[in-house]
Amino acid sequence: MGYFSMMFLYFDPGLGAMLVQAIVAAAAGIILFSKNLMYKVKSFFGLTKPQEDGIDAMEFEQDEKQPNEEQSS
Amino acid sequence: MKSKAHRHEASFRDPSGFIFEDGGTVKRAINPIYFPVYQALCDNDFFAPLFKAKMLIPHVEEEQTPERIVLKPDQLDLMTYPYEWSFDQFKQAALLTLKLQNYALERGFSLKDASAYNVTFYKGRAIFIDTLSFDFYQKDQPWRAYKQFVMHFLSPLVLAHYHGAEVLKMMQNHIDGIPVSLVASLLPKRTKLSPTLYTNIHLLAKLEAKHNDEYKPKSRKMHLSKKALSNMIRSLYDYIDGLELKQQTEWGDYYNKTNYQPEAFSFKKQQIDHWISQRALKKVLDVGGNDGTFVRALSEDLDLAVVADIDHNAVALNYAQVKANKEHNILPLWFDVAQPSPGIGWVNQERSPILNRLSKWGPEVVLALAVIHHMTLSGNVPFEDSARFFAGLSPLLIIEFPKRKDSWVDSLLQRKREFINHFDHYHQEDFESAFAQYFETLEQVEIPGSKRILYLMKTRS
Repeated sequence: MGYFSMMFLYFDPGLGAMLVQAIVAAAAGIILFSKNLMYKVKSFFGLTKPQEDGIDAMEFEQDEKQPNEEQSS
Repeated sequence: MKSKAHRHEASFRDPSGFIFEDGGTVKRAINPIYFPVYQALCDNDFFAPLFKAKMLIPHVEEEQTPERIVLKPDQLDLMTYPYEWSFDQFKQAALLTLKLQNYALERGFSLKDASAYNVTFYKGRAIFIDTLSFDFYQKDQPWRAYKQFVMHFLSPLVLAHYHGAEVLKMMQNHIDGIPVSLVASLLPKRTKLSPTLYTNIHLLAKLEAKHNDEYKPKSRKMHLSKKALSNMIRSLYDYIDGLELKQQTEWGDYYNKTNYQPEAFSFKKQQIDHWISQRALKKVLDVGGNDGTFVRALSEDLDLAVVADIDHNAVALNYAQVKANKEHNILPLWFDVAQPSPGIGWVNQERSPILNRLSKWGPEVVLALAVIHHMTLSGNVPFEDSARFFAGLSPLLIIEFPKRKDSWVDSLLQRKREFINHFDHYHQEDFESAFAQYFETLEQVEIPGSKRILYLMKTRS
């Protein structure tokens, strides 16, 4: 069976909303670029704090194991 | 399809599958149309890291036939909805959605919807619950769920930033998110100078209005590189991450502002702790629970304490502690006892009323500390009605009654001015006889250094 992209238009994505993304993304590109530049300048002078929870961060909690360890001991 | 008979009321929008109940267990059925995506997700080991990072509700595959696949997810204790979250909870839900979209894009998938109802709070954190929201990423295509993300997440958060947390309750009126044209008109003019808000709200509203009547979407070729899409997601993430409520800066010693005498406060704590640990109660609903101070003082290792409060600041402060201490068993709930969230959406059942969800969850005890005078004197709810309300929630009730001479009660009564005589019924005797219709009092103690009484009551069978 072939799979069709976005199989059903089960909600309307909005034509305006699809078109605007090119502009939103362009603005976002500029914002991110200038942010990165600022970050580099700041870190050159040692003014940056380590970033804890960015979009790429995946936090793996360790504490889940504790109850099992308690049970086994 | 016999299981369709048990399909959950909220589960009809997406043809990929549906939620159903099987002997009290909530399960997810996948329809054949979604099999290729599901298979690809499994083949790419898409789910396991998300389970581990507690970003997606874990599930096990229970059944696989040519007609359907059945997943059994971890069971939620209590589903809370966007209009029951504090600003920061809302923000975490938005950030989680963007994180997932970013994660999906890197692996050749994309979120096909970005509804705020795809997220809830479980074990102290925001978690994505709609396992079937992932689809294949289509090369150079814009994000279909973008507008939904703006309506469900960005709009309420930005409005709350400018107008206060109360705005988040607008979600109760707009199950599909807040219309962009409305948001654009409500935002201050100066927001047009913000590149993020200009493009994501004002320009979006303009283009949506312009293209509203076009019915030939295929005639327009839309093209957005993956890099551009990723920039859009990252920029939204950074922007929302930096959003704050102005009122949050006023917190400080929140509990100190409420007028408790230290001795009365600690007596109350000990007494309640004694009653709860004596019966080893594990599921507690604290109505008017403020920032969760009381449930945190309990020595019993609770499965879950739902701490409901009408005051956004209290809920926000509670969630801040849940987050900071990584507490798994406290669920902050923004809740007005005089106006609990109703059933909304299709046949008023798509999103169920909070009272139904609470009673289904089934708290073993309800704490009603320093709320009855507000219910009776501010809300004008007769004692008998509040008694019936509490009796419908749980078999046990711990209730604090401030006597007529209590300073708070006096202040509430003074506000009634010439109508003060209409509240002559606010007396211990009237309270006790009204509650006696629904409850039997197991114990009662005066709180020393106060004009308040604590009761432990059990519903009459």
